[in-house]
Amino acid sequence: MRLTFNGGPREHDPGPDDTAADVIRTAFGATGTKVSCGAGVCGACTILVDGEPKVSCLLPAAHLDGTEVTTVEGVGGDHPVQRAFVECDALQCGFCTPGFVTEAVVFHDRWRKDREGTPSREEVADALTGHLCRCGAYENILTAVQKACAGEFDDREPVPARVEAPAKVTGTAEYTVDVTLPGMLHGVIVRSRLPHARVTVTFPEMSGQSLRSDPAEETPHEGFVRLLDGDVVRYAGQPIAAVAAETPAQARELAESVTVSYEPLPSVVDPEEARRDDAPAIFPDAAAQKNAPSSAEGAGFPGRWRGNVRSGYASAWRGRTARRRLDAAEERNAPGYFAATFTTAGQSHTALEPHASVADWRADGLTLYTSTQALPHLKAAAAKRWNPPKVDIVAHHVGGGFGSKLGLGADAVAAVELSRKLGRPVRVAMSRAEELTDTGYRPGTRSELRMLGTPTGGLAAISLDVSGHGGVSTGSMVATLGLLMYGRGPRHFRDRDVVGNAPPASPFRGPGGPPFAWAVEQGVDEIAHRLGADPLRLRRTWDGNRRRRALYEIAAELPLWRDRPATPQTGRYRRGVGAAAANWIYTADLDTKVELTVREGRIVARTATQDIGTGVRTVIRNAVREVFPDAAIDVEVGHSHAPHGPVAGGSRSTASVGPAARDAAGKLAARLDGKPVGEAEGVTVLGERPKDRRGSAVPVSMDHLRIGRGLAGAVHITEVEVDTLLGHTRVTRVWGGVAVGAIYNRAAARNQCEGGIVQGIGYALYEERVTDPRTGVVLSANLEDYRLPGVKDTPEMTIHFHEDGWDHVPGGGIGLGEVCTVSVAASVGNAIFNATGFRALDLPIRPDRLLEGMSR
Amino acid sequence: MTAEYRAGGTDLMERRASGRSTGPIIDLYDRGLRSIETTEEGGFRIGAMVTVDTLATDPALTAAYPALALTAGALATPQIRRAATLGGVLLQRTRCRYYRNEHYECLKTGGEGCPARGNPGERAVVLDLGPCVAPHPSSVAMALLTYDAVAEIEDRPSKPVAGLYGDGARDHLLDASDLLTAVTLPPPVEGERAGYKRAAGRASAEWPLAEAVAHLTVRDGVVVRAGVAVGGVAAVPLRLPEVEAALTGNAPSEELFARAARLDWTPAFPETAYKIGLTATLIGDVLAQAL
Repeated sequence: MRLTFNGGPREHDPGPDDTAADVIRTAFGATGTKVSCGAGVCGACTILVDGEPKVSCLLPAAHLDGTEVTTVEGVGGDHPVQRAFVECDALQCGFCTPGFVTEAVVFHDRWRKDREGTPSREEVADALTGHLCRCGAYENILTAVQKACAGEFDDREPVPARVEAPAKVTGTAEYTVDVTLPGMLHGVIVRSRLPHARVTVTFPEMSGQSLRSDPAEETPHEGFVRLLDGDVVRYAGQPIAAVAAETPAQARELAESVTVSYEPLPSVVDPEEARRDDAPAIFPDAAAQKNAPSSAEGAGFPGRWRGNVRSGYASAWRGRTARRRLDAAEERNAPGYFAATFTTAGQSHTALEPHASVADWRADGLTLYTSTQALPHLKAAAAKRWNPPKVDIVAHHVGGGFGSKLGLGADAVAAVELSRKLGRPVRVAMSRAEELTDTGYRPGTRSELRMLGTPTGGLAAISLDVSGHGGVSTGSMVATLGLLMYGRGPRHFRDRDVVGNAPPASPFRGPGGPPFAWAVEQGVDEIAHRLGADPLRLRRTWDGNRRRRALYEIAAELPLWRDRPATPQTGRYRRGVGAAAANWIYTADLDTKVELTVREGRIVARTATQDIGTGVRTVIRNAVREVFPDAAIDVEVGHSHAPHGPVAGGSRSTASVGPAARDAAGKLAARLDGKPVGEAEGVTVLGERPKDRRGSAVPVSMDHLRIGRGLAGAVHITEVEVDTLLGHTRVTRVWGGVAVGAIYNRAAARNQCEGGIVQGIGYALYEERVTDPRTGVVLSANLEDYRLPGVKDTPEMTIHFHEDGWDHVPGGGIGLGEVCTVSVAASVGNAIFNATGFRALDLPIRPDRLLEGMSR
Repeated sequence: MTAEYRAGGTDLMERRASGRSTGPIIDLYDRGLRSIETTEEGGFRIGAMVTVDTLATDPALTAAYPALALTAGALATPQIRRAATLGGVLLQRTRCRYYRNEHYECLKTGGEGCPARGNPGERAVVLDLGPCVAPHPSSVAMALLTYDAVAEIEDRPSKPVAGLYGDGARDHLLDASDLLTAVTLPPPVEGERAGYKRAAGRASAEWPLAEAVAHLTVRDGVVVRAGVAVGGVAAVPLRLPEVEAALTGNAPSEELFARAARLDWTPAFPETAYKIGLTATLIGDVLAQAL
């Protein structure tokens, strides 16, 4: 076929199954076009064919014959839409950005041709409805397109809101899936088809490394490695082996030739069945139990096993008093007593860049390009596991993580094992089905809540017993978070895991927080309702956290809150407003170092961390710029050879790199002693993370993670409109108050808080990981059946930062990535109650559930 | 192995990638079939390769068949509508989450039975034609039913679009070698108005839990012609002649619409019983839009 590609002629002979995306990324080498869902849902792969935006992942390559194709690279870099995206911070991880940009360019150009003025939010959202942004940066995307259409960027260069924005809007930002090394093979993982079985693996030719290698060549064309430890698989989708070949298609073909013989073992998937005494035991003995995977961040809680139930020890404060009071209140039907069972569905992280690794094993060491949020941790883990002469981990840009990319995943293990065995670089990238099956998820939960409140005397007693449903993994921790909130009244908490033959869970943005809030924050709301109290005033009475108390006071004065309906409405469409609060610990990596070097007249900042879309580069740049306002500053992250930097997890990055960068800037200023930067070529300083005043909450770090003093707070006030006949809930407005002290990068902080709201809306209304109860196969394995919130589901959002109260932290502020999403779903639940009088107990609040609940 | 036709590829390419479709492909890209012509009777003949986006935006078509245009404009996403074709959306394969999952075989993959039947979920059918429990995915087919549209098939007699469907075992009744080349619609009716709506969790870009389309022609205060069809409820797109009959000859009013939209259905599964009320609401809504 012949076509015009980004202005130049091209010829190519595509195969019948080749997609346009395959050809553009592989044969044409234009990797700005991203492939994410592979099903035409997310729009990341959008290209222009004769000026029409189309999804290239479903477009047969042969259909490009005779067309004019434009990708993000062909848009140039100075288009008003790109400028607007750069200045309006219309992105986070950036993986969806090329698709949004190409679509928005067409919308913009047509608008400017036919119309004048600013398009409405609705018009822009309609045009972009075929694009998903998992980070939830929709608000800024809408604003950017509106401003571009209004002509605001016709004649001027943008001021980038974040350092890497220009690279992300032009498609030049390199993600792991874009890395291609000379001689690279493609790996595929062979996975279990059964939920529980003893397996025997036979490779086509066990003795040799290759079936088709040319004896004249030194390196083989293909090969196999075993991934499974032992011979028991415990979930459908569990990695058993990996194969590599010259092309992805050949690798898939080769994978078919690996024989896995199954001796089925009794299995149980559904937690309600798994908890029964007669259910087959998934981890039959102490040794197996000890090796069960954990979804906890760091060490999980200790527990006792009984069958498939692993119970933690009670975390209690005057626990017997709590239970006695609750029993008594239940017996006398006390007005402030509330008990209910809440459930939540598993939530899949669904980062738009899949888990992917390119391993390059050589005699002098291992280079592992991998989509990770834990670069320093992976360096240590890879060194320990394979002990190569040296390890370099590279992740220049990471297309989202949300907690799913904290460990050495199957993609990394397979790529390294294959590369080590075959002596060639190997890429392993998860398909969307693999991504949605076996890269972790927020465990589902079942929470038994009992609460007793009094209008003035505080929370009299609370008990919460939570079972986490994380497949074969343990480590769900939800109830225990209750030790840190709502004063010091008597309380009793217990966390359990009910394991089943399903894929393991993993940490997800604020692990345990959203399901905790879903139960407890609705409990507080319910008690306020029963006592006739204002839910915000009741919280202010109960809650000792002074930062959150400040937020309650501000929220109480909002028109959004003051004008909420007093009683449930009648009629088909009902408006309601709900409040919920969030609590989160403050963590930092006190070992963080930021190095500053003067190179060619510029200040280059380096640290071994990674930017998963949070804007950590910009936090560093801003901190240095405070001391050197006129200097050119470059930030290099994403490579493990730099001085130690933080994992992007536990909301720790900002409070780690920000103070270390300031320290470095201060040291550099001292070294320069008034000289201009240009006269200090080659000068290098190393900034350290100063300690907090009056120490930490826990005096030692665990794997570089230090728990600091003080708790972060957030409050969400959410308005919904419910169509009571179609069961449809639309979130219309959200106010998010966040108390994390001083803000390092206001635009990125607001962006992330808005994204936290969007993800929380997804958790509340749409997202549901569905596992077949008989086979353990994940059914929500594509982006049509796992539903992410879209641009048209985005409410109007107002973010308020309460910046006091963190003076003991150097820099005066901490991270916010988790606290800003924890209470969102609960606020939606409370808003629906306010609108309809229906108390939703089960997440997500699907239309059928809402209709069924309201008819009761 | 029988060859499969490829039109826009928006369904087939996903099934190629997942291994659901493995045989040879006959690409229709170069076959033309993209013309929109007026027929001798004054209707329209729309080529099978005309895109869904064109159905939604072509000025002549939107004026002539507003129910079709509204339906076409609301499905999937703008990018999909620009690539997907009329023929493709009529003959697309089921979106059942079991069918789309490589771990399962069912009667539609060449195997037996229906793994979804034991776990139908809230998205399954209300009306059980058996053996498949997934609703038919074609919104456009639903709209075409209300216009008595006719499908032209190469080297075969034409048949009504309604005749493309008929049981719960197949997504359509054509043989793999049959090529649908065009759809013909009867002459448009002056003064017709239409409504379309879908119920879903999200605001857009989602397969519907249920959907409804209606067109009404009102003369001298009386409904002289009505077309009503629904989707998301059965393994076939479903026209509702009894609803149309209840409307025709009467003065339009909210009460009439509510009466006409009453559905005397027995749900196949408790999980989908809610779809009956949902569908009735949608019918009432689209009739109100069409007034």
